[in-house]
Amino acid sequence: MTLDTGPRTRLGTRPRTRSRTGPRPTPRSRRRAAPGGRLRGGGLSTFVFALPLLVIFGVFSWLPIGRALVMSFQKTNLLTSTWVGLDNFRAVLEDPLLMTAIVNTSWFALLALVLGYPVPLIAAVLMSEVRRRKGLYSALAYLPVVVPPVVAVLLWRFFYDARPEGVFNSLLGGIGIGPVPWLQSPTWAMPSLVLEATWAAAGGTMIIYLAALTGVPPELYDAAEVDGASIWRKVFHVTLPHLRGVLLITLILQIIGTSQVFLEPYLFTDGGPADATLTVLLLIYRYAFGQSLGADYGKATALSLMLALFLALLSLVYLRVTRRWSTT
Amino acid sequence: MTTTDVPPAFSGAEAAPGAAPAELAAAPGASTAGRPPRNGRRRRAPASEEQRTAVSPQDWRRPRVRFSLTATHLVLLALLVVWGIGPIVLLAKFAVTPTQDILRTPLALFPHGIAWGNLAAAWNDVRISHYFLNSVVVAFGAWVCQIVVATTGGYLLSVLRPRYATALNTAVLATLFVPAVVLLVPLYLTVLRPPAGPSLLNTYWAVWLPAGASAFNVVLVTRFFDSLPREIFEAARVDGAGPFRLFWSIVLPMSKPILGVVSVFAVIASWKDFLWPLLVLPNPDLQPLSVRLPALQATTDLGVLMAALAISTIIPVLVFVVCQRLFLRGAGLGGAIKG
Amino acid sequence: MRPGRTSQAMALASVVALASLTACSSSPASGHSGKLTLSVVSLLPGSEKAAFDTFNARVAAFEKANPTIDVQPHEYKWEATTFASQLAGGTLPDVFEIPLTDAGTLIANGQLADLNDQFQKLPYAGQFNQNLLDKGKGQNGHVYAIPAKSIYGVALHYNRALFQQAGLDPDKPPTTWDEVRADAKAIKDKTGVAGYAMMASGATGGWQLTAAMYSRGGQVQQVQKDGSYKSTLDNDAARKQLEWLKAMRWQDNSVLADTTLAWDTINQAFAAGQVGMYTSGSDVYSSLVETLGVTGKDYGLTALPLEGPGAGVLVGGTLAAVGAKADKATKDAAMKWIDFYYLQNLVDENQAVENAKVRAENKQAVGTPVLPIFSREQYQQSLKWIQSYINVPLDHMKGYTDVMFDQPIVGEPTRATQEIYTLLSTPVQAVLSDRNADVGKLLTTANTQAQALLAHG
Repeated sequence: MTLDTGPRTRLGTRPRTRSRTGPRPTPRSRRRAAPGGRLRGGGLSTFVFALPLLVIFGVFSWLPIGRALVMSFQKTNLLTSTWVGLDNFRAVLEDPLLMTAIVNTSWFALLALVLGYPVPLIAAVLMSEVRRRKGLYSALAYLPVVVPPVVAVLLWRFFYDARPEGVFNSLLGGIGIGPVPWLQSPTWAMPSLVLEATWAAAGGTMIIYLAALTGVPPELYDAAEVDGASIWRKVFHVTLPHLRGVLLITLILQIIGTSQVFLEPYLFTDGGPADATLTVLLLIYRYAFGQSLGADYGKATALSLMLALFLALLSLVYLRVTRRWSTT
Repeated sequence: MTTTDVPPAFSGAEAAPGAAPAELAAAPGASTAGRPPRNGRRRRAPASEEQRTAVSPQDWRRPRVRFSLTATHLVLLALLVVWGIGPIVLLAKFAVTPTQDILRTPLALFPHGIAWGNLAAAWNDVRISHYFLNSVVVAFGAWVCQIVVATTGGYLLSVLRPRYATALNTAVLATLFVPAVVLLVPLYLTVLRPPAGPSLLNTYWAVWLPAGASAFNVVLVTRFFDSLPREIFEAARVDGAGPFRLFWSIVLPMSKPILGVVSVFAVIASWKDFLWPLLVLPNPDLQPLSVRLPALQATTDLGVLMAALAISTIIPVLVFVVCQRLFLRGAGLGGAIKG
Repeated sequence: MRPGRTSQAMALASVVALASLTACSSSPASGHSGKLTLSVVSLLPGSEKAAFDTFNARVAAFEKANPTIDVQPHEYKWEATTFASQLAGGTLPDVFEIPLTDAGTLIANGQLADLNDQFQKLPYAGQFNQNLLDKGKGQNGHVYAIPAKSIYGVALHYNRALFQQAGLDPDKPPTTWDEVRADAKAIKDKTGVAGYAMMASGATGGWQLTAAMYSRGGQVQQVQKDGSYKSTLDNDAARKQLEWLKAMRWQDNSVLADTTLAWDTINQAFAAGQVGMYTSGSDVYSSLVETLGVTGKDYGLTALPLEGPGAGVLVGGTLAAVGAKADKATKDAAMKWIDFYYLQNLVDENQAVENAKVRAENKQAVGTPVLPIFSREQYQQSLKWIQSYINVPLDHMKGYTDVMFDQPIVGEPTRATQEIYTLLSTPVQAVLSDRNADVGKLLTTANTQAQALLAHG
């Protein structure tokens, strides 16, 4: 697997170069030297320990992956399956909704980046400077993450009531704005979804940044101060560069995550109004589970595989491109 | 990566911890980040004072810096209060507001009195307690399954290391690269018609067992076991401990920190899971809160629905407030791992 | 985490889990004690407690009459998104309900059980409305699905209190679409509440648009001479209705701005007094009582306006069916239940009275106007039996009941029905959410897609 080596070698080395905070990982030589041979009993006991992993991964991971590959070339109604070659892929590509779904998903991902990427970063950098009650700050920021996502969506759905009496419209009306149609307009629906998604997720990202900020080697700040650097310079030349690794990874993780967004469009708008929030995953869901008279599992797996392939290529290209920047 | 990873990836803008290749980096970092909890309180306090940031103590002494930073922090705090507590406070208010007031004047403060009845109705008529219990059962089973697979698997791959360990390891790692969405349909069909035995649909096994197939957990635990000193194993061996004793009395007790982390991830993921239980638990009596609440919204009075939402929120929020440290460290660890 | 206890708990848990992992393949023993367990659909999830009490009382009566059958009720709501997989996965109750429109395909796919033997034994087997019964018959003429529960015609439901507040006469509901628009505007202007609402989500928007299309003389699809189907979504009736809706939304601002309304959520909005008028099946009142505890005081029901040549009322309904894998004993028991629960209270005086009595005692709707499963005479006869228990506000339903047998009725489209409904929801959502929506273009697009669906068979 080509992807495998990319992230692992690059990232695998990273913590070691700055593992100031914890005990060093066991040196390789020692591990090698360990007389694993004698532990390597094999036989029954080893098999007992292998069983859960083999059974669970076999049935619920490896088997379905293989099945996905097969099914994308088949037409099946669960009773019988017939081979149809590339028909499923062709049908997906010919579906006029595919383009809509791709555009919508990209729009969601882009908005989520614009809104959800810088906010936690700025908040984390500011919060790392807090001297008293730091715990309160991070607890407040993290609180929305704890709210069950379904509850959050149902609650926000009500906040987004498009009438002037709606919660957000009342608030905005107080300062003379609106009423905003929120989920009831093809233009506003997607930003509304992203806003809620950001609310629900930003706390988690921020805590990650905060943790990464504790790992900045103090020597770097000392050195910068010796050079008489201002606070801004320190932020831009020491803090942020140090976060680069984390930032690059959260970026690609966020893109991978947002390309599979489902909960918000499903529960907020069911893809509406007029398909304005129909995402790729919602389309897959509709192929597979959305028709009362028989699902199109073949089309659904074909589109899933296409999405997976796209994400794999994207990650690969991304890692190639960013490798140069992240090794400083 | 299967269901436990499915939901977070599906559920929002933020990628789930444990959803992507990058986390393989967990390797060495895991042990370092996993350890502090043991004597955390004592070691942590000085550590946070020591932590150096862009603003040095010298900087703090400058009045202008001190003033503008304090001001910024106050603004930040205010924003965080609005951000973090605002919607939850509104939810709490709606939970005890008569429906007509919620609809007509959502922001007015109880113009027609408080409707405590909403809470009772949510608890008794909507049977929130029942679905809450279902959520707990789902989470507990998923947790057990993940711990069992991750610890035995980790032990196998890191300590026992049979001949096929490398191949097995690769096969587990490979699943990390398959996005959850690919598995949605085939996994559903597998649950519908498992290779052996009856359909798992409408049983909790359909949620529990796929949750166990989390490559992220296996990798995390394997790497942690890798970092344990082999001398101890050797000594135990010399004392005549078999592979089970070694696992039970030596390896597991040493792995508490990493098991805590896996547990936090497992419980959070299960609590958030929506699409998967929606598909495999069509029987309303079995559904967890996350699936049940959207189904009920159309037939439930708005005030009662808000009360139901509030009750479903209060418990995780309380757990969070009580175990804040554990949560934030767990989440931060996700970051440390990612870094 | 307290280390000691946790690890012990964890150890214990792992043992338990390991043990159960190996044991999980053994199937749960079904406790046979000579009794046959029959799972049936009960009510919509989230129904009122009184409604469940009513249902359970009927179950108890059935079990008393059939001591060898153990009835297990399951809450149930037919949903396009889950039905197919539930049927395939075998997780539907033994007896379930399906829309009239879907029976043909399900029978052709071999997914429903042949109930012909059981059906023909019913004493009233010959009395069914033949057109209706045909919907549940297979190519071989056997009966697979049986008309049950209710047959509805789409009608206009309105809030009498809002009519009054707006200075309108609640006893003179609108009879043309223009009057509907005028009244909706009056309600919005006088009370601030949306005068009209329309389902738009999933397949429901297209369902109601089709009903409106029919009421203006439009058709969704036509059978060609060669037997193929031609999509005719892009018709004048559809254009008029969408332009009408668009004008109400953007000129009058009298429509509830919510494109996520479905069959149940629009009921909810109506029950909460947020909506002046909406269209839905004539039997909705029962559900309003069952799930939302509505009382009849402010409820009004009138006929859908019919305009132009060929105009008719969309009629649909529910069939009861059994999955293809059921054995004979289950099919026998299922037919007993269908007979008892769905049909006897229409044909047997004692059962009709008994049913009405239990419903009335639990304040569930008795006497909601529906279209007859048997003959019109039979229907009116059955209403006479239960006259003293009728508790629906008949006075408020005259606008519908006076004409319900005289309105020409049109069945739902027969090919790819739910898919085409879903396609048609898009134009509805578009005019409700986009001021500049191009009705002609939306319909052309939907028509092309529908034609493709029809071509595939």
